[in-house]
Amino acid sequence: MADPASVGSGSLSASGTRSGSGKTTTSPAENYYLARRRTLQVVVSSLLTECGFESAEKAAVESLTEMIQSYISEVGRSAKSYCEHTARSTPTLSDVVVTLIEMGFNVDTLPTYAKRSQRMVITAPPVTNSPVVPKALAAGQKRVHPPYIPSHLPDFPDPHTYIKTPTFREPVSDYQVLREKAASQRRDVERALTRFMAKTGETQSLFKDDITAFPLIAARPSSIPYLNALLPSELELQTLEETDSSEQDDQTDNENAPSNTVTDEAGADKENSVLPPGGVVPAVKPSEETVIDNPYLRPVKKPKVRRKK
Amino acid sequence: MNRKKDKGFESPRPYKLTHQVVCINNINFQRKSVIGYVELTIFPTVVNLNRIKLSSKQCRIYRVRVNDLEAPFIYNDPTLEVCHHESKQRNLNYFSSAYTAAVGAVDPDAGNGELCIKVPSELWKQGDEMKVLKVYIEFSLDQPKGGLHFVVPDIEGNMAERGAHVFSFGYQNSTRFWFPCVDSYSELCTWKLEFTVDASMVAVSCGDLVETVYTHDMRKKTFHYVLPIPTAAPNISLAVGPFEILVDPYMHEVTHFCLPQLLPLLKHTMSYLHEIFEFYEEILTCRYPYSCFKTVFVDEAYVQVSSYASMSIFSTNLLHSAMIIDQTPVTRRCLAQALSQQFFGCFISRMSWSDEWVLKGISGYIYGLYLKKTFGVNEYRHWIKEELDKIVEYELKTGGVLLHPAFCGGKEKDNPTPHLHFSIKHPHTLSWEYYKMFQCKAHLVMRLIENRISMEFMLQVFNKLLSLASTASSQKYQSHMWSQMLLSTSGFLKSISNVSGKDIGPLIKQWVDQSGVVKFFGSFAFNRKRNVLELEIRQDYTSSGTQKYVGPIKVTVQELDGSFNHTLQIEENSLKHDIPCHSKSRRNKKKKIPLMNGEEVDMDLSAMERQGNRSRRKTSTGVFELGADSPLLWIRIDPDMSILRKVEFEQADFMWQYQLRYERDVVAQEEAISALEKFPTPASRLALTDILEQEQCFYKVRMQACFCLAKIANSMMSTWTGPPAMKSLFTRMFCCKSCPNIVKTNNFINFQSYFLQKTMPVAMALLRDMQNLCPKEVLNFILDLIKYNDNRKNKFSDNYYRAELIDALTNSLTPAINISNEVRTVDNLNSDVRLILEEITRFLNMEKLLPSYRNTITVSCLRAIRMLQKNGHIPSDPSLFKSYAQYGHFVDVRVAALEAVVDYTRVDRSSEELQWLLDMVQNDPSHYVRHKILSMLGKNPPFTKASESSLCNEALVDQLWKLMNSGTSHDWRLRCDAVNFYYTLFGLTRPSCLPLPELGLVLNLKEKKAVLNPTIKPEAGGIGGVGALDLCANGGIHTPISGFPSSLEEEHLPMEPPPNGVAPAPHGLKRKAETPLGSPPEPVQFTAQEEEDIDMDTVHDSQAFIYHHLNMLERPSTPGKEPPLVEQTLLSMPATPLPAFIKEPSASKHGEHHHRHHHHDHKKKKKKHKHKHKHKHKHESKDKDKDKDRERERDRDRDAHAFTSSPASGRSLRSPSLSD
Repeated sequence: MADPASVGSGSLSASGTRSGSGKTTTSPAENYYLARRRTLQVVVSSLLTECGFESAEKAAVESLTEMIQSYISEVGRSAKSYCEHTARSTPTLSDVVVTLIEMGFNVDTLPTYAKRSQRMVITAPPVTNSPVVPKALAAGQKRVHPPYIPSHLPDFPDPHTYIKTPTFREPVSDYQVLREKAASQRRDVERALTRFMAKTGETQSLFKDDITAFPLIAARPSSIPYLNALLPSELELQTLEETDSSEQDDQTDNENAPSNTVTDEAGADKENSVLPPGGVVPAVKPSEETVIDNPYLRPVKKPKVRRKK
Repeated sequence: MNRKKDKGFESPRPYKLTHQVVCINNINFQRKSVIGYVELTIFPTVVNLNRIKLSSKQCRIYRVRVNDLEAPFIYNDPTLEVCHHESKQRNLNYFSSAYTAAVGAVDPDAGNGELCIKVPSELWKQGDEMKVLKVYIEFSLDQPKGGLHFVVPDIEGNMAERGAHVFSFGYQNSTRFWFPCVDSYSELCTWKLEFTVDASMVAVSCGDLVETVYTHDMRKKTFHYVLPIPTAAPNISLAVGPFEILVDPYMHEVTHFCLPQLLPLLKHTMSYLHEIFEFYEEILTCRYPYSCFKTVFVDEAYVQVSSYASMSIFSTNLLHSAMIIDQTPVTRRCLAQALSQQFFGCFISRMSWSDEWVLKGISGYIYGLYLKKTFGVNEYRHWIKEELDKIVEYELKTGGVLLHPAFCGGKEKDNPTPHLHFSIKHPHTLSWEYYKMFQCKAHLVMRLIENRISMEFMLQVFNKLLSLASTASSQKYQSHMWSQMLLSTSGFLKSISNVSGKDIGPLIKQWVDQSGVVKFFGSFAFNRKRNVLELEIRQDYTSSGTQKYVGPIKVTVQELDGSFNHTLQIEENSLKHDIPCHSKSRRNKKKKIPLMNGEEVDMDLSAMERQGNRSRRKTSTGVFELGADSPLLWIRIDPDMSILRKVEFEQADFMWQYQLRYERDVVAQEEAISALEKFPTPASRLALTDILEQEQCFYKVRMQACFCLAKIANSMMSTWTGPPAMKSLFTRMFCCKSCPNIVKTNNFINFQSYFLQKTMPVAMALLRDMQNLCPKEVLNFILDLIKYNDNRKNKFSDNYYRAELIDALTNSLTPAINISNEVRTVDNLNSDVRLILEEITRFLNMEKLLPSYRNTITVSCLRAIRMLQKNGHIPSDPSLFKSYAQYGHFVDVRVAALEAVVDYTRVDRSSEELQWLLDMVQNDPSHYVRHKILSMLGKNPPFTKASESSLCNEALVDQLWKLMNSGTSHDWRLRCDAVNFYYTLFGLTRPSCLPLPELGLVLNLKEKKAVLNPTIKPEAGGIGGVGALDLCANGGIHTPISGFPSSLEEEHLPMEPPPNGVAPAPHGLKRKAETPLGSPPEPVQFTAQEEEDIDMDTVHDSQAFIYHHLNMLERPSTPGKEPPLVEQTLLSMPATPLPAFIKEPSASKHGEHHHRHHHHDHKKKKKKHKHKHKHKHKHESKDKDKDKDRERERDRDRDAHAFTSSPASGRSLRSPSLSD
C-alpha cells in the first residue's frame, strides 16, 4: 500500500534530486517548496489508498495535490487574517476553527475523523533546510519585554528604529566662525538671488565674447527715479525699527546727533526744552494743528456767486 | 562808477514800476503750456512817455493794452540768434562780442527790453500829468524751454497721481522767460499773484497766501498771493504740483512742500530749519523780513538751491532720512545758504550787476558764520582754506576774477578782463565756473573786511542795511524810498565807514576793483650770531591771475619759548625781513613749550637735534645755519588767511612735522600734510600715523593724512618696513580684537571714526608695490572688508561706506599687462580683477533689488567699470553707460554714466559718442544734465585747441557754433557752457580744422562760374562764390556780402594776436544795426536799435500781428527758432570722417531747405502786402532791401543747385586739388 506512495515519493524525490543535480542553480528556497509539495503528494496518495484506490494517474494526483494545497493555503491565509484582525501575530486554534467553519467545514466531524481506525500514518517529511531569510540588519541589543508585557507579544524591533539618539554639539561660540558664516551665507543668498534675477530678466554684459560671464541686470529707467533713490528700502526701515526699539534711549540723541561731528549741546538742549523728548513731532502735531493758522491748511473757499463773470 | 554817485539810485527807465499783477489762468501739464496775463502799474517819470520797454522771452503775446487801449508792440530778441545765421564767422572773439552786444541790447538794467510797447497817443497828454499807466499783457507759453520746467512722469493716472509738477527756474534774472516783466533786480514793486490750478494741486509762490478759491466747476482752485514788500521780478517764483504740505512744527508761518510719498523725509530734513532761522535773526538782530517762508522740493531742479522772495526751491534730492549721515551736513548747508540769501539777495536786492558781489559776499559771509556756529571752528577754517585754495587755483589758471567791474562810460575798449573768453559785463555772459568762483571770492573778501573792521561792526553794518530796507519796505511807494532796499557797492562802503569809522579803501581797491590773487614764495635762514630769523618773502606778480601786494602781513613763529606773531610790511623792494628771536637755544632743559593757544606741551625735540646736526655738517658758511642752536620750531606766513594768496614756504621736514603734530590750527595741519608729501621719510610717516590715531584731531585733517601717508609709502617703497601703511591702524581701530582680519559690525554713531573708516581703505588702495601693483595684501584686506561688512545692528545706512569700498577697489586697479593687442576676454582676466569684477557685479545687481540712498553704490560701480575698461581689463565699451545715462535713472547715476561716456569719447576718440552726447545736450529734458554734460566735456575734452584730432572737423564746428549761437537761447547757463566748450576745443580764433578760404577754390569757382554762365551779373557771381564756399563749409550757412571780406581778411591772418580778434566786433555791431537781426522767415522782427525811426503803426497793425501770431500757434513760439531746428536735423547726421561723403547730401538738402524758406517768404510777403499801404513809406526802403536780399538768396540757391548739378563743380568740391 505504501509502495506507490513510497515509489511516488521516491520518484519524486529522485526527480527532485535530479532536478537539483541538473540545475545547480536551484535555490534552497525552491528545494524547500518542492519538498513540501512532495509531502502533500504522499498525503494525497495515502488518502487515496485509504479510500481504496489501487493506483492513480499521475495527473489526477497532481490535480488533487493542487486542490489540497489550495485548501490548506486558504485555511492558513484566512486563519492569519482572523488572527491579525484580533491584533495578534500568531494564529490560534480558534482562528483555524472559525476559518474552517467559514469555509463550510463541519468541525464537529473532525475529531471522529481523526480517530478513525484505518488511517495511515505517514512518515514525517524529510527535513529540508528552510530557506534562509536574509536577516534584517540587527543593530544593537533588542530590548527584552518588560514584565507587564506578555511574552507572546512580538519582540521589540531593533533599537535603531525607535530610539532617538540625541546628537549634541557645542554651540559655535567662536566669533570668527560666526561672522564668517553670516558673511558667506549672505553672500550666497545675494549671489543666488542676483543670478536668478539675471537669468530671468534682461541682462547686460561687460564682455562681448561671453555674455553669460558677469551678467548685469539691465538698467531700466523708472518714471519717478527719485522715489527709489531717496526713500529707505523696507529692509533698512526694518533695521531702523529694530535698532530704535532696542535703543530707545538713544532716540533723542539720534534726532540731534546727525548734524555732524560737533554735536551742538546748546542746540540740543533748546530743542528738548521746546519739545518733550522723543520722536514727538508727529505725535504732538494733531493737537497743535487746531491752533496752527497756516494759510495752506485753511479750507478752500467756495466761489462767490457775484464773482461770476 | 556807482561809488561816485552817492545820491541813491537812478533808474535807467523813463518810468517807475509800482505794482504788478501776474495771473496764470491755466496750466496744462499734458501740453506743457501756460496761459495768463500780467498787469503792470507804472508811473511815468518823463513827460511824454511814448514807449515802454519790458523784458519778455519765449512768451507768445496776444494783446497789449495800456489803460484799456490796445497798444501796438514790437518784439525783438537779438539773443535768440547771436550772430546772423548766415554769417560764416567761426571765431569765438567775434561771437563773444556779438553776444555781449546782444545781451546788452535787451539788458533790463540798462532800461532795455525785448518787448517795446508804444503808448497810445491818446494817453500822451495824461503822461504830462504823470498819471498812472496800467499795462495789461495777455500771454501764453507753450512747451517752455527755459524759465518754467515741467516734470511729467510717464505713468498711469492723473497728473496729481503721477507727481507732475512745474516750477520756475533760471540763472540770475530769468523771470522774463515765463512772464513779461521788468526783469531787473533794481526795479522793485509790490505784487499780486494768482494761479489757477487743478484742485489736486498746490501752487506755491512768493508772498502771503490770502485765500484759495474754487472755480465754479469746483475742479480747479485759484491761489491768491499778495506780496506787499517791494520785490524785483527776478525774485518771483512759482511751483505747482501735488505737493504734500508740512507746517513747520516750530514756526507755524513756515511751510514745507515736497512731492508725494516723501513726507517722512521732509519731516526729518526740516527738523532743524528753525535753528538756522534763530541764528540769522540773532546775529543780524533783525526779524526775518517776510511774513512767511516756504520751501519747495522739486525734481529735476536746475540748481540745488534757489532763493526767491519768501520762498526757496530746492532739489528733492536734498531730502534724506535719519539713517543718512553724509547727506545731512550737505543739506543743512544748503538750507542755511538759502536762508542767508533771503536776507541778502531777495529782501535786499542789488542796484546793478557790478554790485552783485556785495550781496553774494554778505550772504556767503553770514552763511560762513552759521557754519562756524553749527559745525565748529575747525570746520569753518577748513572751509575757508578750501574756498581760498579753490579761488587761488582758478585765478592762477584762468587769470583773475573781478568782483566789481567798473565800466567806464561803456567803452568797449576798456575790457577789464582781457584774459577771459567771455565778457563779465552781464551776468548772462559769464561762464558758470567763473560765477561760482565769483561768489566764492565775494564771501572771502567779506571775511577780509571783517578782519579789518571786526565782526561786531560788520554785523552792525548788516543790521543797518536791513533796518533801512525794512523801513523802506513798509512805505507806500514814494519817489526814492524803495531804493533803500537796493544795495550798491558805494552804499555798502559808506555804511562801513559810518559804522566803523575805518577806511577800507585800500582793501577794496586791492581785492574788489582788481582781479588776481597774491603768490608768495617764502624761505628763511636763522642767523645764530644775531639770534635773528631772516625771512625772505618774494612775490610773483607777473604771471596771469596774480597781483602785487603791498601792506602788512602776519607771520607766526613758533619758538621754543612760545609762539610769537610778527606783522611785517610788504613793500616794493624789501624782500628780506629780520625777525628777532626770543629764545636762546636751550633745549636741553626739559620744559614744556607754550603754544599759540596758551597750551603747553611736551615735545620730543630729538628730531630737531638730529636735523640740526646734519644741516650743520652740510653748511659750513655759518649764516644759513639751521642748526641745533636754532630755537625755531615752525613758521607760518599769513596764518589767518587775511590775504587772498597762495604761499609756497620752504622749511625743513622736521619743522613741518612739528607743525603737523603740535600746531592746533587745522589750516596749519593741512598745510603741513601737503608739504610732507615731499618728504618721504620715516619721521614723516610717524608724524602722519600719530595724527591719524589722535582722536582729538579734526577728522578732515586725519582723512587728508591718510592720502598723504599713501603717497609717502609709495615713495618709500623700497625702505618701507612692516605691514602696508594704515593696515594695522585700521585693524586696531575698526576690527575685532579676537580676530583682526574681520571688521567689527558697523556702528557709525561716532561720525569722526565713521568718516575715517570710510576714507582709510580708499587711501590704502592707492598703495603700490615694486611692480607698481596694488599689494595683494591690501586688495585682500579690502575684499574682506566688503565680505564681512555687516550693517544689521547699525541705525545708520552704510550705503556711502559701501560705495567707498567700491571706490577703494577702483583705486586698486592698475593697467593690465597687455602682451599682444588681443581683445579682452573673460578667459584672460586677471584673477584679482576677476574677484573685483565679481564684487562689482554683485553690488550693481543688488542695487537693482535694494537700491541704496541716492544710488551711491551704482555710481561707484559705474566708475569702477569705467576704470576697468580704461585699464584694459575688460573691453572698452560705452553701451552700458549709455543705458544708465538714459532719462529715467536717478540723476547722480546719469551723471556718473555720462562722465564715463565723456571719458570714453576722449580716450577712444569716438565721434559717434560725441554726437550722442551733443544730441543729449540738445534734447534731454533735465536742464541740469544738459549743463553737466557740457561742463564735463569742457573739463575732459575729446581734444583741445592745442592738439590734433580726427574728431575736429567742420561739422562739429558748425554744430557747436549753432548750439551756442541759437540752440541754447533758452538757458543762459547752457549757452555759456557751450561757449566754454567751444573755447576749450577751438580757442578764441577760427578753428584750425576749417578750410582756409584763400585756397583758391572760391576764386576759381567764381571764374569758372563766370565762364559757364555769362548771364549772371558779377554781383551774383560773387555770391555764388560764397555759396560754394558754404557748400564746402558743410552746412546751411550763408554769408551776407558784407561779411565776406571781413572773414577773408581774417583768414589771411589766422594767427592774429588777441587785440585783432576783438577788431571784428564793431563791425558785427554795425551790421546788426543796419540789417534786421531776425532771421528771414520771421518778418515780425525789427531791430530795437532804430528807436527813432520805428514807426509803431496803428492798433490795426498790431492786431494783424496778433492774428499772425495766433496763426502760428503750432509753430515754436519764439521767432527765429525754426532755422536752427532745421539745421540741427541736418547736422545731427553722424559726422563721417570722410568729408567728401557728407558734402553732397548735405548740399542738396541745403537747397531744399532753402526752397522751403522761399515758400515762407512768399506767403508772408503776401500777408504783408495786405497791410502795406499802411506803412508803405516807412518800410519801403527796408522792403526793397529785403527784396534784394531775397533775390540774392534765390540766386544763390540757384547757384548752389547749379554747382551741385554741374559735374565740374562736384569734382572740384570733392578734391580741391583737381580744380585748376
